[in-house]
Amino acid sequence: MENKEKIQTKMPITWCPGCTNTAVLTALKKTIAKLIDEGARQEDFAMVTGIGCHGKIFDYTNISGIYGLHGRVIPTAFGIKLGNPKLKVLGFSGDGDAYAEGMEHFIHAFRYNADMTYIVHDNQTFSLTTGQATPTSNQGFKSKAEPLGNFSKAINPIALALAAGGTFIARCNSLDVNTTAEIFEQAIKHKGFAYIELMQNCIIFNNELPKLSKLMYNIETNKDKSKAEKLVKEWDYSTKQGKIPIGIIYQTQEPTLEEKCPQFKTNFPASD
Amino acid sequence: MKLNVLFGGKAGQGINILGHILAEVLVKQGYYIFQSRDYQSLIRGGHNFNVLTISDKPVSSNESKIDILVSIDSKTLEIHKSKLKENAIILQEEKENMYFAGQLVKLLGIEFNILEEELKNLRNFDENLAYSTEGYNSIEKKFNFQKQQLKLSILDGNKAAAQGALNSGINFYFAYPMTPATGIMNELASKQIENNLVVFQSESEIAAVNSALGVSFTGARAMTGSSGGGFDLMAEALSLQGQTEIPLVVYLASRPGPSTGVPTYTSQADLNAALYSGHGEFPRIVVAPGDPKETIEKTNEAFYLAEKFKTLSIILTDKHLAESEYTLSEQPNPPIQIKTQRALPGKQIVKSSSYEHDENGLTTESPELAIKNAESRIKKQNQIKKEIENLHPIKMHGNQNSKNLIISWGSTKGAILDAIQGIDAKFLQIIYIQPLSEKVKEEMQKSSKIILIENNSTAPLGDWITQNTGMEIKNKILKYDGSPFLSNELNKQIQGALNGK
Repeated sequence: MENKEKIQTKMPITWCPGCTNTAVLTALKKTIAKLIDEGARQEDFAMVTGIGCHGKIFDYTNISGIYGLHGRVIPTAFGIKLGNPKLKVLGFSGDGDAYAEGMEHFIHAFRYNADMTYIVHDNQTFSLTTGQATPTSNQGFKSKAEPLGNFSKAINPIALALAAGGTFIARCNSLDVNTTAEIFEQAIKHKGFAYIELMQNCIIFNNELPKLSKLMYNIETNKDKSKAEKLVKEWDYSTKQGKIPIGIIYQTQEPTLEEKCPQFKTNFPASD
Repeated sequence: MKLNVLFGGKAGQGINILGHILAEVLVKQGYYIFQSRDYQSLIRGGHNFNVLTISDKPVSSNESKIDILVSIDSKTLEIHKSKLKENAIILQEEKENMYFAGQLVKLLGIEFNILEEELKNLRNFDENLAYSTEGYNSIEKKFNFQKQQLKLSILDGNKAAAQGALNSGINFYFAYPMTPATGIMNELASKQIENNLVVFQSESEIAAVNSALGVSFTGARAMTGSSGGGFDLMAEALSLQGQTEIPLVVYLASRPGPSTGVPTYTSQADLNAALYSGHGEFPRIVVAPGDPKETIEKTNEAFYLAEKFKTLSIILTDKHLAESEYTLSEQPNPPIQIKTQRALPGKQIVKSSSYEHDENGLTTESPELAIKNAESRIKKQNQIKKEIENLHPIKMHGNQNSKNLIISWGSTKGAILDAIQGIDAKFLQIIYIQPLSEKVKEEMQKSSKIILIENNSTAPLGDWITQNTGMEIKNKILKYDGSPFLSNELNKQIQGALNGK
């Protein structure tokens, strides 16, 4: 895989040794290399990252993009997609980034259904700011900012995505590089807004993934809405009870924004 | 010959469309008009009024005294009684709005067919024609506004900014509705197909500005716009622009604050927001046109400068300029052609970062690079300062040899031009506020008396001038009741200031 090496920059990696973000980078490189083997050019990709540990993937991946603002990955990536619909646009967020400050954009992205991919590195903690609770942290989660334990219920992001009209909703286990790379590929190939909830670990502040992995099981791609409604509820983020289905939890086909908007039929990208 | 006509009634009675139709008839007849809108933040009911000033000479403001009052409801006369001139004509009946259009056309001595042509641009032509015919036949001619051979048209600031953006090849406008900036979104939306433009109503101003940066990154030409509250939400992304150097144009149509303030009225209180919004130190352009023609030209320049210097251009207007109808008597300058000469994604690998970064767009914490990048941002602001000297950053009006200098910016231009007729004064209109032209200090040093006029309570332009020139302006005429200056009142205030110590 010669392409895989070109896809990484020469920046020294500053994630903690053993961080699952390294596995995500490996999966991403694998996916991009495969798509390049299939005929894409490295210049055809663009990424947007938020701010947090996940965002460092911007510096390590040798594709175009914007290392944007915390919480604002979706509108920035959405802009890149509309500006040049020929690009394969990938947004990367952390769980704080996506589900706290970014929630106003998350819920609307499914309505717009622009043809792009959105990957949320969910380790259930704000790690770069030393371990505070995020919207997916369980009740009782303790940190320096929540010494009495987190009083709030967690959100269930994939249930929200389904309710918001998502056309591609998947969950991955970052420890399983091969399955993650396959789902990344399916997401990029999906016509519409593809969302991936990527279960991650923080070895410093929330070292839970090895335990959670035991509750995970792989599913076949599901295209049945009522089945999806059951699947999204199997894992309770608040109580950490239940089983964790991994794979494409729901996929359907709906017209994308670019297909619905007549201006995109002519003369785009505007820069040509 | 100059007349001030006030149209008043409840929201929903068609006051604004009545004023607009009359204005259209008058410019077709070769007369200059200026029309302001005073409306409340409600959809039906309340009290709205327009003041239409008509003149055979250029006019760009209203006066405080009314010659003709049109009252579509029972309250208008009561509310505006004190403004009426001694022999004012009062038209008050329980009739549809276009009835009064017919009456006014007759009163002014204008042929009915000119009104009839204008009615064709509205819905319900047959009904409107019947109402206006009835009105026309109900009254006698009083004035003689016979045809003048002048080619005039009507434009408001929002439509002018839209035109300037279209002249610049805008591809995307992202916004969230907010008075008084909504007009530019509606105008661009109505023209998007033929101009290959996408107007997208985002979920918030934060989304709008970040999407504008996203499309601009790909080489497309992008703008976002709002009023003060929405502009505040954009602050973090303005700073992102400063770091990523992705060209960005922001249209800011201000209104009285703080906070929700008086949302459908006017104020110039957001100059400091435009000058300082966004954390960190980075270059920007703040340009404040004074009328719709300048708005067309300066919006185009804002796009040109944003692209050339990969910078932030803020076009600062207010409700008075954005929503008032002005006479356009000459064509704007031909637009500057804008070239995109940047590395673009899709063609090559381009990385743009919110972190301090090296030449490849990769994060750095190196103190040497921090210094180099900071100095490069300062240098850019200086380069912009040189460039704007070619773009008429200031304009001098009035008696060029006068030692009395009036300084102002933005929408006050109209009232000041009308107010200084017959006064020994020259008027320095500052159009580019950031960067501020060196010529401002030169003009101030040549003058013996300086008066600052602003439509706000703290004179932020005065502070900015002091900061940039070291010179302080003591004489200030400030208005902050939510309404614009009226030329006859301002004339007295200027004379008072000149005659004072």
